[in-house]
Amino acid sequence: MNEKDLKSMIESILADMVGDKVKETAQAPQVAATPQPVTTAPAQPVASATVVSDEILDDITEIDLRKLLLVEDPEDREGYLKMKEKTPARLGVGRAGTRYKTITSLRFRADHAAAQDAVFSYVSEEFIKEMNLVPVQTLCVDKDQYITRPDLGRQFSDETIATIKANTQNKAKVQIMVGDGLSSAAIEANLRNIIPAITQGLKMYGLETGNILFVKHCRVPAMDVIGDVTEADVVCLLVGERPGLVTAESMSAYIAYKPTVGMPEARRSVISNIHSGGTPAVEAGAHIAEMIKNMLERKASGIDLKN
Amino acid sequence: MREELLSVGIDMGTSTTQLVLSKLHIENMASSFTVPRIVITDKEVVFRSDICFTPMLEDNRIDAQKIKAFVEEQYEKAGIKKDEIQTGAVIITGETARKENANEVLLTLSGFAGDFVVATAGPDLESIISAKGAGAHTYSKEHSTRIVNIDIGGGTSNLALFSSADLIDTGCLDIGGRLIKLDQQTHQITYIAPKIKQLIDLKGLGLSLGQRVTPDDLQPVVQEMVHLLEESVGIRPQSEFYNTIVTNKGLKLDRPIPCISFSGGVADYIYNEATGDVFQYGDVGILLGRAIAESPLFGQMTIVRSVETIRATVVGAGSHTTEISGSTITYTEESFPLKNVPILKLAWSDEEGSEQHLAKAISDKLNWFKLNNDLQRVAVAIEGKKNLSFQEVQKYARGLHAGMAELIEREYPLIIIVRHDMAKVLGQTLYALLNYEKDVVCIDSVLVDNGDYIDIGKPIANGKVLPVVIKTLVFN
Repeated sequence: MNEKDLKSMIESILADMVGDKVKETAQAPQVAATPQPVTTAPAQPVASATVVSDEILDDITEIDLRKLLLVEDPEDREGYLKMKEKTPARLGVGRAGTRYKTITSLRFRADHAAAQDAVFSYVSEEFIKEMNLVPVQTLCVDKDQYITRPDLGRQFSDETIATIKANTQNKAKVQIMVGDGLSSAAIEANLRNIIPAITQGLKMYGLETGNILFVKHCRVPAMDVIGDVTEADVVCLLVGERPGLVTAESMSAYIAYKPTVGMPEARRSVISNIHSGGTPAVEAGAHIAEMIKNMLERKASGIDLKN
Repeated sequence: MREELLSVGIDMGTSTTQLVLSKLHIENMASSFTVPRIVITDKEVVFRSDICFTPMLEDNRIDAQKIKAFVEEQYEKAGIKKDEIQTGAVIITGETARKENANEVLLTLSGFAGDFVVATAGPDLESIISAKGAGAHTYSKEHSTRIVNIDIGGGTSNLALFSSADLIDTGCLDIGGRLIKLDQQTHQITYIAPKIKQLIDLKGLGLSLGQRVTPDDLQPVVQEMVHLLEESVGIRPQSEFYNTIVTNKGLKLDRPIPCISFSGGVADYIYNEATGDVFQYGDVGILLGRAIAESPLFGQMTIVRSVETIRATVVGAGSHTTEISGSTITYTEESFPLKNVPILKLAWSDEEGSEQHLAKAISDKLNWFKLNNDLQRVAVAIEGKKNLSFQEVQKYARGLHAGMAELIEREYPLIIIVRHDMAKVLGQTLYALLNYEKDVVCIDSVLVDNGDYIDIGKPIANGKVLPVVIKTLVFN
């Protein structure tokens, strides 16, 4: 499966999730430009001469949707906006006839595109260097394989394992690792703020952190291998979440006490929704530090920690 | 995880004293896969006391011993011990708050009525508490509207305006049912409050002490009182006397208020037809209630039936004074409760600039809290930012650290209150700057302002959150 096929497959799945839109396009194929590049008819030649302008269009993704009410002449604008404040759902988008307004349509596609980019792009090497991470990768060779072979995203070659061993402290109290997961954008957006918050918090409890690993093509259970290899008491994995239309920059922390390959999923503790519209990265970092301390004290994680 | 807090509310009003016990249910509403979000999910009144007349001594002081005996008796009736009570409020309201020994009475009860029960009073807070007890703020939220609640007691009418659950403004008028008292048998006037006397003179209504009256004789003055209430909610142009009758301030009336509710003792006679003698209480309360029911307040506004009338304030004190801090916070101090800590709220312009700017603003403003050159305990409150970087957190922490230098020298912990969700990281950063040697209490998601005082209770929900009570004291 090549990258194009894969993209169009994901697109059609996403399109299914917003069924109305599909129906709309089906009813009026002559109007709606289909987003799939594979099915697009050849572009019609533009009649007039093209004028090149230096102007830059406004970035519509900068608009805060919670404050944008497109319903014309609403009965209770204040009440509507108050409701919108509480949800990222696209409420109050108004309509043009039976359709979305242009801005709604464009924004939907822009957010969709950002979600795709987050999956298919890589965390930049400069960023990894800047954050002083030790880069390694799983057995996946590229994004396509990463998406289609989850089993490979949780395994490392012998060579890589040797690198990990050489760069980490054996039997450390805490081992932090970062994985690109399904959103590289999430890593680049949150890491700068969450790492110092975690290390500062851990220091408060007298805990040191050694080198931080960066795992390319990383699935969550990769942390179990790191647990086995480093024999750390607690492994904390910061990983990009599957992006949605609300944000492409959401990160999760999966934390487990003595994780090991094949352990039940219930042993993982999770802090999800770390992004600018969810839990702020700095506050999440402070919380994670305390959680790690509790795990070390109680020698447990996940469901066991809650009981 | 579900937890319960037992809360007491004690209201000593101009005419009556009462007590309720409420259970506050506390729950983590977040899923297991994210940071906790602990909130009060339910408030349930589990015991309502008898209503007694507020006992007074001959020299017009409150009889603290009798009040204490009343409270003890009610606890016994409810079948609870005082050390089971975890939170709540004792509130002295209306004219009673102006009695000389009010503060002393609060102190007597504060030590007696559980560990984290606070002493509090003041017309603003009273308005808010009674309106919440009456259910006005819930109504405004559920119907997404603006509503004013008027709590009409013996000595004052307390107004609170809510818009979709947000408090907009409060006000207070010296209008109440017991501002004119008369002998139940002879119907002779035994008392006229000074401002009402002024009103009578101004309007030439010719009522005086000792005069034997009929309900019809009192109708004109009662009608004047109703007019003033109409003025207070903006359905009648304000007269000159309006400013005289206002206790401390009226509502700002920049927009029309569609809905109104009533609480307090007089409210019973607004919503219901009185049976029997209109002078059964020896005052004009019933007449006032009837006159309100027949006034344009009823014709021009949507009448909302309050969930509590005479008990609105006490239910508000018992059920609606305790809040819960944000669920990600820092505290290294264990000696809770911290009581009566005054708030220094910084202006946004203080926070926007450099850390030196923030530090200077704090140290300058701390001078407000110096008595005889001695600095009291102060909690510093900031707005904070919604989603800030680690650098910004450090900037805040360094500014606070430098600005609070004088407080750091004192033995008590540093108390920081932030509005936005950042208290855990800010507290940890500050604690690091203090070399882990000085205790820090840093909480968020609590709204405070200058002039407020805060009580912080013992941690609940496995230590994740701290219960707080924000109040405004009239004393001091």
